[in-house]
Amino acid sequence: MTIEVILGNEAIALGLVEAGCHVAAAYPGTPSSEILSGVVKFKKRLGRTIHTEWSTNEKVAFEVALAASWTGLRAAVAMKQVGLNVASDPLFSAAYQGTRGGFIVIPADDPGPHSSQTEQDSRLVALSAKVPVFDPSSPEEARSMVVDAYALSEKYGIPVMLRPTTRLCHALQSITLNDRPSSDDSMVDAGFRKDPSRWAATPKFRYELHRELNEKLHQIEQEFEISPRNSVHNEGTSNRLGIIASGVAFNNALQAMLELGAEVPVLKIGTPFPLPRKLVDEFRNQFETIVMIEEPDACIELQLSDRGNVRGRMDGTIPNAGELTPEIVSSVLAEIFAQADIDVNPLPDNLDLEAAVEATPLPIRRPRLCPGCGHRSAFFAIRKEFGAKAIYPSDIGCYTLGLNLRAVDTVFVMGAAVSFADGLYKAGQLSGEDTPIIATIGDSTFLHSGIAPLINAVHSGSRFVLVILDNHTTAMTGFQPTAASDLLADGEAASRRTSITDLVKACGVTSVAVSDPYEHETLRTDLRAAFDHTQSPDGGIAVVISRRPCLLYDPSPLYEVPVPVEVTEECDGCRFCLEAFECPALYLTTDGSRVEIDAKICVDCGQCIDACHKGFIVAESASEEG
Amino acid sequence: MTLSDPPGAGPQELKIVTAGIGGQGVVFATRLLAHTAIAVGLPIMASETHGMSQRGGSVISHLKIGGTQAPLIRKGTADLLLALDADEGLRNLPYVRSGGAVFVNSEDGLPADMSSHLERLRINLHSYPAAKIAMDLGIPTVANVALIGFAAAFIATTLPLDAIERTLKDIAARQLEINLKALHAGYEAGQKAGRPLPSETDEADS
Repeated sequence: MTIEVILGNEAIALGLVEAGCHVAAAYPGTPSSEILSGVVKFKKRLGRTIHTEWSTNEKVAFEVALAASWTGLRAAVAMKQVGLNVASDPLFSAAYQGTRGGFIVIPADDPGPHSSQTEQDSRLVALSAKVPVFDPSSPEEARSMVVDAYALSEKYGIPVMLRPTTRLCHALQSITLNDRPSSDDSMVDAGFRKDPSRWAATPKFRYELHRELNEKLHQIEQEFEISPRNSVHNEGTSNRLGIIASGVAFNNALQAMLELGAEVPVLKIGTPFPLPRKLVDEFRNQFETIVMIEEPDACIELQLSDRGNVRGRMDGTIPNAGELTPEIVSSVLAEIFAQADIDVNPLPDNLDLEAAVEATPLPIRRPRLCPGCGHRSAFFAIRKEFGAKAIYPSDIGCYTLGLNLRAVDTVFVMGAAVSFADGLYKAGQLSGEDTPIIATIGDSTFLHSGIAPLINAVHSGSRFVLVILDNHTTAMTGFQPTAASDLLADGEAASRRTSITDLVKACGVTSVAVSDPYEHETLRTDLRAAFDHTQSPDGGIAVVISRRPCLLYDPSPLYEVPVPVEVTEECDGCRFCLEAFECPALYLTTDGSRVEIDAKICVDCGQCIDACHKGFIVAESASEEG
Repeated sequence: MTLSDPPGAGPQELKIVTAGIGGQGVVFATRLLAHTAIAVGLPIMASETHGMSQRGGSVISHLKIGGTQAPLIRKGTADLLLALDADEGLRNLPYVRSGGAVFVNSEDGLPADMSSHLERLRINLHSYPAAKIAMDLGIPTVANVALIGFAAAFIATTLPLDAIERTLKDIAARQLEINLKALHAGYEAGQKAGRPLPSETDEADS
């Protein structure tokens, strides 16, 4: 028995490996990414045979895992909450058609949001899809809920959702690793069993499956009525006020009460859907007032049969956007406790300090592309070539930060750079707006959902330049391999890989160039030729693949030709390089007189030489020779 | 300095906020403290920053040693603030509780004068030029370990130096020697800067 510090996502992974998961598939996305890499880590450590893969997108991941379940194997799929949107088509049908081997869907929600496009609540998606949900409040609980989720899934033949949130995913907790043998795997009855009325159900059968699903949910609700996952804490401490809470917010509520020095009973709900309504009603009826603490939305509150004495998101007691931070939970509870005549400790007396800090101008540290990032060089060239007037649709990834270089105008959802370029061209044709459209998308995002819109755009005659920023990896989320990589999720070599160049050609694009973004002039020549292709009578869409590995992922090409640079005496501090190139290693001296290079973070890429149009940034050797 | 227990918290509880800029090693610093706590038998709960904010943005981590299961520290309740950057130290100052302490990687304190607030709240501010020390050692990236060494002199009753050393052996084996040098340089400076935290019994008298 050993105690280890592991990440919440790894605790979920450990739960999966311990519970005998056979197939785990995922598409990376913060805050979910370490779930699959955790499965890889623990399967190696515990010597388990588990198929693990980074699928091309969440829908693919979902279906690969579900098919394994249909053969009787235990399977799981993980993604961030917006990834569940991509996989929602299979999710809704999987609820109807059911499962054989245990099947767990793990979407990580992001209240805040910290790294996401929306603050959506995956529990509400589960409610809509009619899939039961476990809502863990800590890494340790998430790990053990995996076991419950598999048992429930196999008992009822239904997909089960395990819904963590950012603060659980990225919590570090000390966890005891048991040396107990992992639960016995369920491969005994493995194999696909034909059952057309279920696996290939036509609408007539779907009606029956829907009735069956409703009956399953009814029975699961009865089970949840007596589940130890729902429990009352601080029983008997008040008869005026009670709290219903779930997830990480439950722990924040307990912490807040500890700090306030006052306790009231809390009903912790670990199974928010289907809600054990009898249990909740009995608790609710004991108190004059009930406070709902759940996030990011009102899943439990919406299911209450009567909200007469309930204070939560619906009556505005709880803010309806943003994370339920300890500060918010504390101030909400302090106010409600005061109204219920419950004495509390005063909140920390540091508001003056907070106001003083807020009144102090501090640098706004917006995220920036890393020193030496090939994306920066590509955006710099794009912006130089096409200027302020062109429209720049972009996409989800590190290169969203091309915003800072004014070479990104739209960021929407995965793959939308291509469909927006397509739609903007079509709209421009109608409105007479003849602006160049230069779209950018990363390699992983292109493979995830850029191909279908590219085919659409080619076939319907759109014209724009698409720059695929190929850095050989899924960088933002921690360097997961793509279908174009030569590695698999577990570090093994891929026997075959997809060629993005061939793929683009196969979509019907006739103008395809591959360029190294470090070669500014060549890249600009390729960009010009691409734009010319969009303007020529027999032209169309042109694709430029800007290819250079992410520096953090594979710095070897950089080490081959380091180009140390220096700023010459003539630098007049005009700030052009800071704004147009924005490398974190370039900084203005405190007196504002000149720019200098931060040797601590400079990677000797030499790319900023072109960023000074006055020629004041030079290669070190060049200046010595001069 | 004093670190009187906040109301309601357990006697062994230590809440540490670590702040800095992406790339400075906030996550590593947090893990170093967390693993050390585990090694001396204290449960931990911590919260890390991942994703977009790691690309050069402000990074903050919360670490609770021996506390509850809630991963975040409320403003005004942190015992210690470790600031790898002075601006980020100032930005996150409101996390520190009355009677707590701030350790900032800086030659001369915070970028703005907060002394009246710090006095009123009895918050002790300690500057330590960890980046300069690390630069002198030849590896700028160990500034985080140097600052932890400095702070460790104040919290040795909870996280002893030799336990931190052992953790470094586990999690920083590749650059162990330089990390140990940074840790010791910081610890010695910390010992000179102030007496260690009073024990529980001392506290009752203060």
